[in-house]
This record gives sequence, C-alpha cells and structure tokens, in this order.
Amino acid sequence: MIAPMSEGTALLLVILLGFLPTEVWRTLAVIAGRRVEEGSAVFHWVRAVATALLAAVIARLLFAPAGVLAEVPLALRLGAVLAGVAGFLVVRRSVFAGVVVGEIVLMGGAYFLHG
Amino acid sequence: MNAPPSLHHAHHASPVYFLQGMRKAVSVPALVLFASYLGFGAVLHGVGFPLGAGIASTLLVWALPAQLILIGGLAAGTALPAIALAVGLSSMRLLPMVVSVAPYMRGPRRSLFWELVCAHFVAMTVWLEGLRMLPHLPGEARVPFTLGLGLSLIGVSCLGTVTGYTMAGEVPGWIAAGLLLLTPLSFTVLMVRNAVSATDWLALAAGLILMPLTLNLGGGLDLMISGIGGGTLAFIAGRLLERRR
Repeated sequence: MIAPMSEGTALLLVILLGFLPTEVWRTLAVIAGRRVEEGSAVFHWVRAVATALLAAVIARLLFAPAGVLAEVPLALRLGAVLAGVAGFLVVRRSVFAGVVVGEIVLMGGAYFLHG
Repeated sequence: MNAPPSLHHAHHASPVYFLQGMRKAVSVPALVLFASYLGFGAVLHGVGFPLGAGIASTLLVWALPAQLILIGGLAAGTALPAIALAVGLSSMRLLPMVVSVAPYMRGPRRSLFWELVCAHFVAMTVWLEGLRMLPHLPGEARVPFTLGLGLSLIGVSCLGTVTGYTMAGEVPGWIAAGLLLLTPLSFTVLMVRNAVSATDWLALAAGLILMPLTLNLGGGLDLMISGIGGGTLAFIAGRLLERRR
C-alpha cells in the first residue's frame, strides 16, 4: 500500500519520476537521430536491466500483491501464471489464450475458495 | 501542421488524415491496450494511488512498464531517486524505437515541435503500427495521422485505466482478484514470448527469482537488487555464454 497522498502530490511524482525519465529518451532520439548504435554493449546491458526490472516488478505483484489478490493463496497465484504460460505454449503461442487460461484458473480457484 | 496542401497530390486536408488515424486505432492492438490498462487501473486501486494522477501517468508516461515500475516502486517504499533511475532505465528501450520510426513521422516540412509531439506517442503499439502503416502514406498525411492514431490509443488506455480502477472497487472479490492478476499474468506471457537470447531468459529468471528473495530487505532495495543487479548479472552471464560458443 502507498501512504495516502493528494492528487497534487501524486501528479508531481508522476511528472518527476515517470514522465521526465521516460520522455528524455524520446526527445534524445529525435534530437540525436541516427547517431545511436543499436548493437552496442550498452544497449545489450540496458535491455537486460529493463527485462529484469520488469520481471522484478511483476514478481512483486505476485509475491506481495495489492488488494484482494493478497487473499488468494500464493500457490494459486503462481499456479495461475504457470497455467497461463503453459496455455500460451500449447495454443500456438497465443498471448490471448495464455491470459484466458491463467484467468480461468485464478478466478475459478478464488471463487471456489471464497465464493 | 496547417500548411496549405500542396498543389499536386494533396486531395485531403489535415483533419481528414487525423480522422483516418483515429479510425485505424479501432483494432486488435487497441483491445489489448484496453485490457492491459484495465489491469493497471485495478493495481492503482489496489495500492491506493489517486485515480487522477494514475490517468495522468497514462497520458504523460505512455509506457506501461515504466508506469508499473513507478507505482510498484512507490508501493514498495523505494527511494524516489532510485525509482526515477529504474523508470529511466526501463524507458531507454524507447530510444531506438523512436529513432527507427521518426523518419516516417515527419511532414514535408521539418518541424522539431511536431517531431517531438509525434515521438511522445511512440511506445510498443504505435511503434509497431506506425512502422506498418506510415510508410504508405503521403508526407503531409503522416503528422496528422500519427496524432489521430496516438491520441485515440491513449484515450482507449485512459478509459481502460478508469474502468479497471472503478471495477476493482465494485465487483465481487474473485473477479477483482482476476483484474489484479491481469497485469502480472499478461506481462509474464508477453516476456516469455519476447525472450529470444540467453541473456533475455537469464534476465527474466533473475528478476523473477531475486525479487521474492529480497522482498523483505526494506527501503525498496528489492527492486534495485533484482532489477539492476539481476539484469547486470544476466548481461555478464549472457556474454560469457556467447563467448564460449
């Protein structure tokens, strides 16, 4: 949970911590144009860090979830995501199929456990 | 952008191309965006982040991974400069994307202002759709078309954010749980789909495995260690593996 904050404070955080660190790359891309090496070591490192960061945020949403998802047992949360990945791999690598399978497992399980 | 149409092949005014862009936004990718932001809205509600600022993040940041790192970092109590750093690293992937699509987002007359505005819309969806559709359009159509497409997709995403936020508070628990799972579930599947190199798989595993191990460190160190530390380890390990081959 986030400590209660006003819309104004939250907007300021969005601008300083979200908008600026993101928009700087779009702006640089327009200004610097083609002087960027796509295959350089720095780019491989950034891609790895970006992937691990996103994976970490996702793991956090699963292991320390917010709201009612916290009331669903950890095993069911992880099982649903694994079922989703399995569904994706089995059904012609369809992301849609994976999400549907994972959601059915989670919502079915949660309904069974809590009603 | 309201330059008089050229005498030769401009049969349409800018608003026509703007509307064309809007029409092209009605698509499967828009549906995917709506569902993704539905999950994001539910997460905002779950962690108690104000809705208005959450919508503003969709408008201003317009990159869901960065938005999730921002909200996740705040929820974890991560130090604010560390959140900015993490968001910046995550968004660096936008640079090569903008570089590759920007040449198709220019009118016949170069304008830095409109180039920057168009670049703002570049995230995964507009990048993919832009590379697919823009090259076939005449020069004077590209800026208004990009604006129509980008604004519509952002609008759809804002609608998803509001809907997810509102629904999360009103539907039965088991449905709300399903909404909250939407983000980690769809992103896990997407990351499995996008993983190509050994480094990609190692980075994915590092983030997923290190996060639960560092969860209780406090001070929001978990995101730094598993993200930046885990990603760096994956990068080094990936290089060593490649060299061995």
